[in-house]
Amino acid sequence: MPRNRTVRLAVLGSSVQRAASQGYPSSRSSALKRRIVVGGLVLLSLVLITVSFRSTALDGAQGTGAAILQPFEVAADRVTRPFRDAVGWTRGLIDAKSENERLRAQNANLRQQLIIDESALQENVQLRDQLHYRGPPSVQDFAKVHAVVNTNPQNADESVTIGAGIDDGVRAGSVVVAPRGGLVGVVDRAFAHVARVTLLTDSQSAVTAVDLTSPTAVGIIQPGGGGSNVLVLDLVAQSKVVDVGDTIITAGTLPQGKLPSIFPRGIQIGTVKSAKNNDVNPYKNIQVKPFVDFSSLQSVIVLVPKK
Amino acid sequence: MDGAKAALVLFVAALLQLSVLTEYTQFRTASIVLVALLSIALLRGSVFGAIAGFGTGLLLDVATLGTLGVTSLLLTVFGFWIGRYGETTARDRFHAPFLSVAVVTVLYAFGLVALQFVLGQPAPAGVVAHSLPLALLLNLVLTVPVYALIRRLFPPLELGDRVREVRLLG
Repeated sequence: MPRNRTVRLAVLGSSVQRAASQGYPSSRSSALKRRIVVGGLVLLSLVLITVSFRSTALDGAQGTGAAILQPFEVAADRVTRPFRDAVGWTRGLIDAKSENERLRAQNANLRQQLIIDESALQENVQLRDQLHYRGPPSVQDFAKVHAVVNTNPQNADESVTIGAGIDDGVRAGSVVVAPRGGLVGVVDRAFAHVARVTLLTDSQSAVTAVDLTSPTAVGIIQPGGGGSNVLVLDLVAQSKVVDVGDTIITAGTLPQGKLPSIFPRGIQIGTVKSAKNNDVNPYKNIQVKPFVDFSSLQSVIVLVPKK
Repeated sequence: MDGAKAALVLFVAALLQLSVLTEYTQFRTASIVLVALLSIALLRGSVFGAIAGFGTGLLLDVATLGTLGVTSLLLTVFGFWIGRYGETTARDRFHAPFLSVAVVTVLYAFGLVALQFVLGQPAPAGVVAHSLPLALLLNLVLTVPVYALIRRLFPPLELGDRVREVRLLG
């Protein structure tokens, strides 16, 4: 005996195909429409990836789009600044007393160091003049372009976008530093008015660096990995003397190097946090705390060739 | 009207994400944009979700000067998928937003790494895996206020306005 199917009605719909009610599309046309829309968008995304990755055809449009977004990003930053300052102020209150004592001690040491450095600088200038010595490029040989940071690093992407571009003299490969000193990274892509900067904490980043107080301790600064902001100074022989607290700077073009470095000599990178020898590794295990807080960059300086 | 509202909501979320939230290390991998997109997709369906995902992904790619289309591809697929979930089994289910956000957070993170690997770009899967638990937790916490806000802006559609394709067999 066949079951009476006419009585059973689904709560959400009938099992019998029927013409669409007025104003509502049939299920078949809905499914087709969905597939067409999604298929089209996925295809368009793949085309964009292909064109963007393989050519520079879309760079102009992308640069223009980023430049258009820049005022909105700046506005969002300004609107939320008071709230973020309040958060920062609250955090600062907790650490204020210990930070104060630490800074006072550091200040006293720096005053003594300044006197020594001033004497050394004067002697250096005199010797350079006498010997007619022309050393490798330093920061003073570059012009400075100030730029606001538009977007911060997100996900695992260690890059930021800045509001300066080709029209300001910025080029791919330009070195980027923080306003108060400290190496930030290198310009990766430059457009007319905006540019992308790959940070020093990027996994592909590598900078030749030297210990300021031990000039023979030359190595490569690389990110420490694991998403932390600690850097590693690698390839420093175990025989070299590197102490905790030493300042690490960019080495610039080395005399024995075959290729010139894009980084001028003398840009501060960080201070040595730990330096240990290892029985297994022929090189020292040196961790460096960077001067720059890469998670809260607000503005940077791009070093561009002087005109 | 819904289209304009969605565009504005996602634009504001993108600005917040890019310029403000990522200033704090904890929010580097969490994404208010993703949560907002999934909420809209749950409430407005698959086609709406796919289009919103494409537009949002394109906006993020332009703003970060990354490879165009990468984020669009992922957000289109996830916007469609969660929108479809919202049209069918997720109706009036309390856990639907949380389940959607949790699943897509994980898939989005590894999907991005996979795409970067295919394109020959750095693909630090270890870093992503290490930061995933915190990203998951933050996204789930963000789901509560964001979904509540989006639900007020986009009231759930009446039963008759939704796609009806559930069929009984037998």
